[in-house]
Amino acid sequence: MKPLSLALPVLTGLAYLVTIGPIAMVVLIAFSPDDFFEFPPTGWSLRWFEEFFRLESMRAAFSLSILLALGAATLSTAFSAMAALWVVRHPGWWSGLVQGLFLAPLIFPAIILGVALLLFYKQLGIPVLPGLIIGHVLVGLPYSFRVILVSLHSYDLTQEEASASLGAGPLRTFLLITLPQIWPGVIAGWFFAFIESFGNINISLFLSGPGLATLPVEIFAYLQFQGSRLVIAAASALQILLILVLLIIFGQLIGVDRVARTR
Amino acid sequence: MSLHEPSQADLYGDGITLRNYAEIWNDPFYVTIILRTLRTTFFIVVTALVVGYAAAYTITRIKSRWRVILLVVLLFPPMVTNVVRAYGWIALLGRQGVLNTTLMSAGLTSHPISILYTFDAVVIGLMTILLPFMIVSIANSLNTIEQTYGEAAASLGAGPVRTFLHVTLPLSTPGITSGVLLVFLLSLGAYVTIALLGGPRQKLLVSLVYDAVISFQWPRAAALSFVLLAIALFGAGLIQMTLRPSRISGRG
Repeated sequence: MKPLSLALPVLTGLAYLVTIGPIAMVVLIAFSPDDFFEFPPTGWSLRWFEEFFRLESMRAAFSLSILLALGAATLSTAFSAMAALWVVRHPGWWSGLVQGLFLAPLIFPAIILGVALLLFYKQLGIPVLPGLIIGHVLVGLPYSFRVILVSLHSYDLTQEEASASLGAGPLRTFLLITLPQIWPGVIAGWFFAFIESFGNINISLFLSGPGLATLPVEIFAYLQFQGSRLVIAAASALQILLILVLLIIFGQLIGVDRVARTR
Repeated sequence: MSLHEPSQADLYGDGITLRNYAEIWNDPFYVTIILRTLRTTFFIVVTALVVGYAAAYTITRIKSRWRVILLVVLLFPPMVTNVVRAYGWIALLGRQGVLNTTLMSAGLTSHPISILYTFDAVVIGLMTILLPFMIVSIANSLNTIEQTYGEAAASLGAGPVRTFLHVTLPLSTPGITSGVLLVFLLSLGAYVTIALLGGPRQKLLVSLVYDAVISFQWPRAAALSFVLLAIALFGAGLIQMTLRPSRISGRG
């Protein structure tokens, strides 16, 4: 048993090192004061963050990514909430089909969805920005749908009938009865849809157009053609820090263990 | 679309043909890449399973609130985009990277060793990027196993190894299955990581899909996508059949 009891903690430590290490590395590089990264670092500075906000293309990509993620996450959550409620209220063959359709993008290799959407848009002549929005809504759907569906499992549908029998319309019932009970699920669904859209590359890569690149696409382009420029590290660090802040806020809002369970 | 003839002007020509598939099948280059894709993916899945299982097993045996904290920490890396995580590996493994400068200043090697743009870099990068999915899936499964089962096995005289092999491992097959499925499917589609860490020489099937798209060979791109999708579905079916996760709930 001796070698095994040693191997387990070592492998676990290794697992954390290789998953967290590269991310920590990027943040470290972003604060580098030199033109090229040196290890160990000679000091720290914010010059690459200043450079990031000076570059028009980076700034545009950053704001596009944030706006796109906000819009796509909100739309995904709205569609998912409607679909999830419908599925719960109408159990049966059709609802199984709807569930399958909403969760399908999870199983598809994402890049195929990207290619398929690109070909589809080309045939219909859909312009870049709406195409990008539709793509990002699709990316978020399975995540928000799954989380909201789980939160509906503990929700008692008869309350809606009670509310209706007391004279409340469907909208009033939804706002006063349904939403207050499922909102943690809705918030968590929105959060995951936001994260998926904000970090998406496999779909954005195909759907971006001239002047309309999201932050991951912009970082990817820089890495391929001007890989030594440290402004990429600042861009990456901003991405990392934004997600970290969101994770902490939402962890507080809906509870850490709920975040742990829904993934 | 994959059945249409290629066309210069339009997305695809008028004729219907199997040529796009025949070209893939007959071209040794494509066959090599498909085989390499299968080999790489298999290697990544197996490594992730071994490391992931060890980590998940260790984490779930922690009693204190550290267990939840350790699991939440693992949820963070998958939220960071793959581009950024690949960039971290480039900074670590590149010619001027941390690993090389450290090795050289320690006098262990006189010239930089090249890891980046090799098969190893692709495997390391993809494996570590997908590892959290494996750990979380298995940990979720291990969490649902009652501690008392292990105690029962021990009281009946089974040693720790025997208990693990006959009780814990079989009961965690649902977690193993979903972890293996996730890592398998995600590694097939991870174009960006492969492009950044493998460079122009370590291409996998998904890189060819991308290349066909940016060179406007639409029918070729569609045909390659279908090959990729077929591998994904066939592999997923194979994994399900081999591991049979529903066994333990008494079905099948």
